Amino acid sequence: MALFCITSIYKLPNMAHSFYSKRDLQFNLYELLNAEQLTQYGYYQDHDRESFEMILDAAEQISEKMLRPLLTEMDRQEPQLVDGKIRVHEGMKAIVKRFGEDGWINALFSYEEGGQQLPITVQNAAAFIFQAANYSASVFPFLTTGASNLIRTFGSKQLIDTYTPLMYSGAWQGTMALTEPDAGSSLSDISTSAEPTDEEGTYRIKGQKIYISCGDHDACENVIHLMLAKIKGGPAGTKGISLFVVPQKRLIVDANQNLIDNDVQTAGVYHKMGYKGAPIAHLMVGSNDNCLGYLVGEPHKGLNYMFQMMNEARVGVGTNAVAIGTAAYYASLQYAKERPQGRLISDKDPSKPQSLIVRHADVKRMLLFQKSIVEGALSLLLQCGLWSDLAHVAEGETKERAELLLDLLTPIAKSYPSEMCCQTTSAAVQILGGAGYTTDFPVEQFYREARIHPIHEGTTGIHGLDLLGRKIVMKNGKAVQYLMQEMYQTIVAARSVSGLENKANELEESVTTLSKTTAHLLSIAPQNTELFLADATLYLEMFGITTIAWQWLKQATVAAQALPNATAEAEQNFYQGKLMAARYFFEYELVKVQSLATRLLSHDHVTVEMQTAWF
Amino acid sequence: MKILVCITNVPDTTAKIAFIDNDTKLNKAGVQYIIGPYDDYALARAVELKEQHGGSITVLNVGEADGEQQIRKALAIGADDAIRVNCEPSDSYFVAAQIAHCAKEGSYDLILMGRESIDFNSGVVHGLVGEMLNIPSFSPVMKLDIDGNTAKFAREIEGGKEYLEASLPLVLGCQEPIAEWKIPNMRGIMTARTKPLNVVEPVAVPEAATLEKYTLPAPKGAVKMIAADDVESLIALLKSEAKVL
Ligand SMILES: Cc1cc2nc3c(=O)[nH]c(=O)nc-3n(C[C@H](O)[C@H](O)[C@H](O)COP(=O)(O)OP(=O)(O)OC[C@H]3O[C@@H](n4cnc5c(N)ncnc54)[C@H](O)[C@@H]3O)c2cc1C
Repeated sequence: MALFCITSIYKLPNMAHSFYSKRDLQFNLYELLNAEQLTQYGYYQDHDRESFEMILDAAEQISEKMLRPLLTEMDRQEPQLVDGKIRVHEGMKAIVKRFGEDGWINALFSYEEGGQQLPITVQNAAAFIFQAANYSASVFPFLTTGASNLIRTFGSKQLIDTYTPLMYSGAWQGTMALTEPDAGSSLSDISTSAEPTDEEGTYRIKGQKIYISCGDHDACENVIHLMLAKIKGGPAGTKGISLFVVPQKRLIVDANQNLIDNDVQTAGVYHKMGYKGAPIAHLMVGSNDNCLGYLVGEPHKGLNYMFQMMNEARVGVGTNAVAIGTAAYYASLQYAKERPQGRLISDKDPSKPQSLIVRHADVKRMLLFQKSIVEGALSLLLQCGLWSDLAHVAEGETKERAELLLDLLTPIAKSYPSEMCCQTTSAAVQILGGAGYTTDFPVEQFYREARIHPIHEGTTGIHGLDLLGRKIVMKNGKAVQYLMQEMYQTIVAARSVSGLENKANELEESVTTLSKTTAHLLSIAPQNTELFLADATLYLEMFGITTIAWQWLKQATVAAQALPNATAEAEQNFYQGKLMAARYFFEYELVKVQSLATRLLSHDHVTVEMQTAWF
Repeated sequence: MKILVCITNVPDTTAKIAFIDNDTKLNKAGVQYIIGPYDDYALARAVELKEQHGGSITVLNVGEADGEQQIRKALAIGADDAIRVNCEPSDSYFVAAQIAHCAKEGSYDLILMGRESIDFNSGVVHGLVGEMLNIPSFSPVMKLDIDGNTAKFAREIEGGKEYLEASLPLVLGCQEPIAEWKIPNMRGIMTARTKPLNVVEPVAVPEAATLEKYTLPAPKGAVKMIAADDVESLIALLKSEAKVL
């Protein structure tokens, strides 16, 4: 009997289908951000809400048809190194081709470049759908977009003409090749070298790169590495780093434009705890002194170029984390609505059927935790997309404001969801109980996949240092001033909405606490930088919670105003859900700001004083 | 070859349906709309036929302005132009009359549509249009090729398939697996806006039926699990509770 129930009810083949909420994306884009405002700008004038919607629908259809069906398979059939070449899941060929042919890889770029001048906000929303469907698969085209963007922004016409068309079509894969065995967080220590050849702009590259996502695979014909290396004789440290296009196979100039091997060998493929469908390669570059790299832009400006693209990549990582968290949330929600177990504390009558677990307060807590984190973080990430767009197309103060806010909040947008979605996916596993720990359900995979995000694109520790050590004080604190203005605007607006007055006061209190803590830390900085930055990660957390509370207050304001006019039950439920998630976030998460402040204002510097020998 | 593809603008299959105005109108608030799934198959096959044989695709929707998003999607998928007959698609006869009127004016070789809409599911419009135009109509068509002036197609019949040939022009009601649904690409989405969409007023049609009200089916009952070997209990429950025996 028991077995009969389990197999017939709980192995739901369609379970994976609701992996995100289209309604929530629409809420963010149109009700919260008014993304249609972008179409006032010349660059985006050919777009409208209908084109945004069609793009998101297309993303959903591709996800449902091509990405989601491979989610589990790609996890189980990891990439393998066979005869020096990494083989990925055979379905990836069609996926990469699809992204290329359908114009997703260069959608952001101008019409002259074959793009569609798509707003970054909408691109990020579409990417979120792909990532929620199958994170590993979504990474292949995403990386090519980033790499080709570097070439088109900083490269010569020749480099652009040679490489970007085939990257846009999906025939060639792009990568970001930064990390080396001795240089992960500390890129100034890279040792890959570049020696000029007789041909201007062409260098002989030698070194090794590790953990390179999509660094080699058989779903594309060629891999184009955007690689950091040091030109021999250049300045030490970050100032001596240059950026090169290093193709896996290089073009030889003959009538047929043939490709020959460019001496980039794959030494290994990493076996990882999650995100297994994407190949992560260890590359030996120029072992036979026959690897040519082509300088992008000017010598020694490589890291600068890379960092100009980093904001978008980092917002992208935050979005990945939220996407995985969202997929886990919906999987656990569906399970909770179907699994009968135990009885409510208020009604323990054993003759009655068991209650669905979604009715237990503790399970509701775990669901609200996930909902409040993923939906709160998603709205910040889409807001970052809008700032990127405004930084691109607006002028004057609007542009400056958008640039500074984006710059300031990028460490938060990257790290807050990355850290928190490790916890939310854990809550998703917990909701499924024993089933969550088995491979019969996707939540254990989401839990494993989420774990990469606090590590790559700069660890959380590095982002903490970036926020407190650099971003807070940049331009004499102007970015922080802008953020405070934004937050106070939201607080003032919320005060006039019935039911939100307390929430507005609570956010104001937290902002004040954050400001006091910042002032305290900045006062330490001149005397002792080590003390100043010792708890930068906790400061990042405090800043993150406050920022997401701000997003929730915005969401709650819109929801509270929309609720009385919502006639359909589904709409009423949607807005009620928003208000409850906002309440949860303030009651359970925002309160953490006070304990973090206690720690950050303390004069006990235990982590600095601890000695290695005492561990 | 000139192809006319008729599409419906229908609530998404997962939409929660509720009625307003004394149960005489669908509450559209918060409902997501889609191209009727069977119409989408017809459109997909039309795009493939155009790729093979050249020609043009006109997409036609009998409906109000809120359906233009689906029309634009059809244009993004590959239709060349569109007609919207500006009215509420009140019943099958009315809709068929509007389609027949437009079809006459455009003299199409092939008129494709879904085998039925998924809101009212009457499944008769293709037959009515054929009759009104005095040309053959077939449904449900699950395979379709064109050879010169001849359509070669398969129709689903009770327990099997029927393979047929007929001369153009024709009206066909389509279903899977006639083609795979097409997903619009970026270029298609962006060019859809520049393709012509003609809005025309409906022709007068005598009212065939009036609507009194809608009701929803009774909610699904709770599931009872019965052990696979306990046939007696199952029969007893089918008699006493489900009352189907
Ligand atoms: C799956 C995967 C995919 C990746 N993809 C790519 C890719 O495509 N391209 C690429 O170039 N790289 C890639 N990476 C590399 C990734 O960016 C690095 O792993 C990351 O930057 C951390 O570097 P590391 O591993 O050397 O760790 P380390 O730098 O050794 O850090 C170890 C720990 O020390 C801390 N730490 C280090 N320095 C400091 C400091 N100064 N102050 C305080 N704490 C510090 C870190 O926060 C961390 O907790 C990938 C990695 C993985 C695992």
